[in-house]
Amino acid sequence: MTLHRRMVWTAALLAATILIPSTAPASDRPAKAAPAAATPKDGSADADTAPADANATTTAAADDDEDTILDPTQPDFTLVSLPTALRVPRHRSAFRVTHRFNRPLGAGDVGDLASDFFGFDTGAQIGLEYRYGLMRGTQVGFYRTSDRTIQFSLEHDLLRQQGGRPFGLTALAFAEGTNNFRDSYSPGLGLIVSRTLADAAALYVEPIWVNNSSPLPKALVDANSTFMVGVGGRFRVRPTVYLVAEVTPRVSGYKGDRGSTGLIAFGLEKRAGGHLFQVNVADGVSTTFANIARGGDTAGDGARNWYIGFNISRKFF
Amino acid sequence: MVWRGRALTLGLLAAAALAAGGCDERLSDVTGPTPNLQPTFSSIQRDVFAATDSAGRPACTNCHTNQGRNPAGGLNLLGDAAYAQLVNVPSRGRPDVLRVKPGDPDGSYLVHKVEGRSDIVGARMPLRGPYLTAGQILVLRRWIALGAPNN
Repeated sequence: MTLHRRMVWTAALLAATILIPSTAPASDRPAKAAPAAATPKDGSADADTAPADANATTTAAADDDEDTILDPTQPDFTLVSLPTALRVPRHRSAFRVTHRFNRPLGAGDVGDLASDFFGFDTGAQIGLEYRYGLMRGTQVGFYRTSDRTIQFSLEHDLLRQQGGRPFGLTALAFAEGTNNFRDSYSPGLGLIVSRTLADAAALYVEPIWVNNSSPLPKALVDANSTFMVGVGGRFRVRPTVYLVAEVTPRVSGYKGDRGSTGLIAFGLEKRAGGHLFQVNVADGVSTTFANIARGGDTAGDGARNWYIGFNISRKFF
Repeated sequence: MVWRGRALTLGLLAAAALAAGGCDERLSDVTGPTPNLQPTFSSIQRDVFAATDSAGRPACTNCHTNQGRNPAGGLNLLGDAAYAQLVNVPSRGRPDVLRVKPGDPDGSYLVHKVEGRSDIVGARMPLRGPYLTAGQILVLRRWIALGAPNN
C-alpha cells in the first residue's frame, strides 16, 4: 500500500513539474478563427448559449482556442457520473457539484416519498470537482466526495472526431483513495470512445479498468479489479435541454456484493450560459470510478434501489 | 513543443498504468484481533482454533480437545486430528450437513455454528462468546470457498 501511495504521489508530482512547463506557447497552436466564442458550433443563437459574463466572452475570443467554443452535443464533462470527451481549454477550468440523496425512492409509499420531497429532505453524498486544462486536449481533475474519498484524474485526447474519422478517442487515468486519499487506493485506466451525431446527440463507449475495486483484501475475494464498459449518451431534445443516460455493466473481475448490478443512471438537464443543471436518478449514489465498479444498490429482495440527485457544473471559459 | 507535451502526457499515462496495479486492502484491517490470520488451514488452526485472541474470544480447543476429556460435540480441533475431523465429515448435531463442505461455505455446518444460524443444534460457538468477528468468519469462509485445502 505504501509503495503505491508513493507511486501515485510521484505521478502527481510529475504532472506538476513536467507537464505545466511543457505546454505549447500560443505561437505553436493552430491559428483557428474563433470570431465569436459565444456562438455554438451549430450556430444557434439562443440567449442561453451565451457565456455567463462578458469577460468570459472577451477572454475566450481572444484566446483563439477552439475548445472555448460551445459544442452543443457535449455541453459538460460528464454524463451523470461517466466522463465525456469534452476538453477543458488550455489554462481554463470548470467546477462541478454533485449530490446523491440517500433515500431510496422505493422506500415507503408515495405519501412518504412526497413528504420527504422525493428524497431531497434526506442526507446526501456531496461531491465537489475541479478540472483544469493543462494544455490543449489534456485536463486534470480533482474530485472529493463527502465520504472523504478523493479522486485525481487525467484525460488526454488521442484522436478527435474530424475529417473522415467517425469517432474520438480519449485516454483516461485516475486514482482514488478513501480517508482523504490516505487509505484504500483504487487506480485505474480507461478509454473514452465518443461520437457526436450532428447537433442532436453524443454517444460514448468507455472501457475502464479499476484496480482494487473490492473493499476486501484480495486474499478474501476471487478478483480485486474490475473491467467495466460504460455506455451512455446525451440527447438534445431542445436547444438547451438534454436527456442523458448511462449504464456501466461489469464485464469481468470483481462485480460487487451478491446481488449488485451494473450502475444505471439517467437525467434531465438544462444548459444556461456556462452552467449546466441536471436532475438525475440512479440505482446507487456512486460517482467515483471505484464506486461505480462496485455497482448499483439492491434491496433485500434483489430489486434495484433508486436514488435522486443533481449535478451543477460551471465552466470558467 | 506540442509533440513534447503530448509525449510527456502519454508518458504520464504510462506511469499511471504502472502505478495502477497491485493496490490492495490490508488483511489485518479485516481480521482485527487476529492480525496474522490468513485463509489457510494452518493459520486458522493456529489463530482461531488453538488461540484465545486479544478480544477475549476463547480458543476452540479449550473444549474441542481430547486431552483430559472427551472432545465437545465429538470434534477434536487439536493438532493433526483437526483437519480429518472437519473436512467432509458429517456433523454430530446435523448428520445431514458436513462440518466443512469444500467449496461451499454456506453448506458447511462449521460456518452455521460460528454465525449462529437458526438451523444449528445447540448453542452458537464459541459457547457464550465472545464470538468470531465478521472478518474472522470471512477468512474462514474464504478458506472453505477455496476448497478447504490442508495447507
